[in-house]
Amino acid sequence: MGEIVFIALAVGTTVGAGVVAFSKNIVYSAFALLLSFFCVAGLYVFLAADFVAATQVIVYIGGILVLILFGVMLTEKIEKVNISNQALKPFRAWILLIVSGGILIAAIVKTNWITKAPLPPTPTTGELGNAFLTRYLLPFEIASVLLLVALIGAIIAGRKEVRRK
Amino acid sequence: MANVESLRYFLPELLLTALVLAVFLVDLGLKRKKVPIATLMVVGLLVSLYAVLKTPGAEGVTLFLGMVSLDPFSVFFKVIFIVTAVLVTLFSMESDEVEEKNFGEYMGFIAATTLGAVLLASSNHMLMAFLTLELVSVPCYVLAGYISRSRRSSEASLKYVIFGAASSGLMVYGISLLFGVTGSLSFEGIRDALSAGNPGEIIVLISLIFILAGLGYKIAVFPFHMWCPDVYEGAPTPITAFLSVGPKAAGFAVLVRMLHVAFSSSDGAAAYLTDISSVDWPFLVAIISAATMTIGNLLAINQSNIKRLLAYSSIAHAGYLLMGVVALSQLGTQALLFYFVVYLLMNLGAFLVVLNFRSQTRSEQIGDYTGLAWRSPIGAFVAVSMAIFLFSLTGIPPFGGFIGKVYLFASIIQGERFIWLAIVAIANSVISLYYYARIIKVMFLRGIDAEDLGGFVSSPTTITLLTILAVGTAVSGIFWGPIARWVSHSASLFFG
Amino acid sequence: MLAASKYAPVVLLFVIALAIPVLMIGIATIVGPRRLGVKKKVPFECGTEPIGDTRKRFSVRFFLVALLFIVFDVEAVFIFPWAVLFRQLGLFGFIEMAVFLFILILGLVYVWKKGALEWE
Repeated sequence: MGEIVFIALAVGTTVGAGVVAFSKNIVYSAFALLLSFFCVAGLYVFLAADFVAATQVIVYIGGILVLILFGVMLTEKIEKVNISNQALKPFRAWILLIVSGGILIAAIVKTNWITKAPLPPTPTTGELGNAFLTRYLLPFEIASVLLLVALIGAIIAGRKEVRRK
Repeated sequence: MANVESLRYFLPELLLTALVLAVFLVDLGLKRKKVPIATLMVVGLLVSLYAVLKTPGAEGVTLFLGMVSLDPFSVFFKVIFIVTAVLVTLFSMESDEVEEKNFGEYMGFIAATTLGAVLLASSNHMLMAFLTLELVSVPCYVLAGYISRSRRSSEASLKYVIFGAASSGLMVYGISLLFGVTGSLSFEGIRDALSAGNPGEIIVLISLIFILAGLGYKIAVFPFHMWCPDVYEGAPTPITAFLSVGPKAAGFAVLVRMLHVAFSSSDGAAAYLTDISSVDWPFLVAIISAATMTIGNLLAINQSNIKRLLAYSSIAHAGYLLMGVVALSQLGTQALLFYFVVYLLMNLGAFLVVLNFRSQTRSEQIGDYTGLAWRSPIGAFVAVSMAIFLFSLTGIPPFGGFIGKVYLFASIIQGERFIWLAIVAIANSVISLYYYARIIKVMFLRGIDAEDLGGFVSSPTTITLLTILAVGTAVSGIFWGPIARWVSHSASLFFG
Repeated sequence: MLAASKYAPVVLLFVIALAIPVLMIGIATIVGPRRLGVKKKVPFECGTEPIGDTRKRFSVRFFLVALLFIVFDVEAVFIFPWAVLFRQLGLFGFIEMAVFLFILILGLVYVWKKGALEWE
């Protein structure tokens, strides 16, 4: 049962990502991203990372996907955008994809990964809170500076667009 | 060291954080911003520079449970970043490319980048390295697109963001693969796991390539250099100067620390490190180094925009600097650090001339530099300074760049393994002479009767800064002893 | 097994959530009569005549609001684990979180003062 669900989630992630990359319609791409994000959340559940799964749903699906859809909707005639980059060569891209993908898959299969027995699905939120405030205190506080800069950067970039209109 | 005890050693970073917050806050309350905010920046940066130099425990301690380490190596780079930020603040005062009403955030982003760079240079943990790499990148994305209503500047910012996001993604993937085989994220932990057992060299190599993609983008080496000319051309000139020194040095700092701590083991012989887990990364980096300097120099030849030319020149310099990483010896790291001191002086100096010229003539075309030396006495002074910077960038004695290159070549030749890289580098220096000399030729040998082009003036600040940078470039090529002693102290950490 | 036991209610929720639209559309297709006409093909807009094109551009301000939302969203994610452990972490944890929040509240003050929250 677990295996089947896992495979379904993995297929969902990959198919979603494939549609994102190959769809001609950018709105379809955005909704395929939804599928991909959602299945990734499911994979986190399999790794007994319940808080990360919830974060995935809240931030990626609730936030970033909505942002992408806004981005699509406020771009004029997005379905008719001409790709100006002449370097776009599908054939070479396929060769690169197959070679690099093949090497990566072969390496992943051959490697002795450090594995652990699956954890019982206990809530991890508290442990994370503890880790934030002890072991990872410095990255936690630095993250607040990064968020501040991102916030102000978003205002600066966004306001300029408004002014130009 | 535990979290609370670490705070005592963390004063410079705390001061920089306070500076970031203070600049954003002061910006809210002011109408006329330029002078007060630049003053605040310079004072804040100098105070944290003082704190960097006075902080105890500079003999090597790890802080915050192994997240960052405080040692002569990180102190060296902290000094480089803060000095760069001070100079760029002064450059920004001289530039008219940033509107006064947006000046506060602009300075705040420079302060935030500096904070990120300071932390990146001392990162001792993959999580910390990634987070601070983002803290260096995010403000730079905004800064690159800071000229409002300029398509070129917006394009620069967009290209920078997209390249940056893709390479960060690769880097995180590489880190996760490495974590999967070593079970550790701290640099020492990764080294211990790699030297204890052989977890499969292919996967270590792949993860290293991905991590190099993230860092290689930051330092603009082949094949992650494509963003560089467009961003350097589109960004405001002070920011171009900043990007070519500050974030680049930060990327090199973490690259050296990561490769020397996580991917090398001490071999008994004090001055050398050997790479471990049978992954031959020095060879990989040597190839990147050769390709980077060759591509940078070849593409620089045909540039007509001086900012693009200096962008390609800075790509080529990243290639030279990588030689110090390839050498994997104390001399190599010393050479790298020495070159950064000189590079800071000559590259910022060259960009200051570009900035000054732009504010006078609204032009960035090399052709418009015709007869600069004959237009006015100040024009002659600026042209002579530019010639010093360009000769030094080429590596011609008696300027600092020459000594820096000698050190880099010596470290490669001493290592014996990559003699071919030294030959490639010498050939590249010859190529670079061609395009640097072209600018000098245009400034001095053309348009000797150029007085009808109008006078050329510079502000007293520009003249002072140019004098300091030019004298520094020249003096570091004659009396390099003090710098050599300082860098030798800073580089000793990874060896023996 | 691990997923099935603990997450059975969540899975059940998804099944129900998927079943409702599938059933509604399915039943309507099977049971409902199919009479196509000119009126049926007109875009439906709450009973009034449709005005303008549906593919209209959104104001860029929505984008800014969404951007701000994501930043605050991520902040909330950071705060949540701390809130769960609030009583155990004590004063030190409170101070650590106060520093984190201070920096971010500064961002909020900045956004507010700059007028980015106003629609104007």
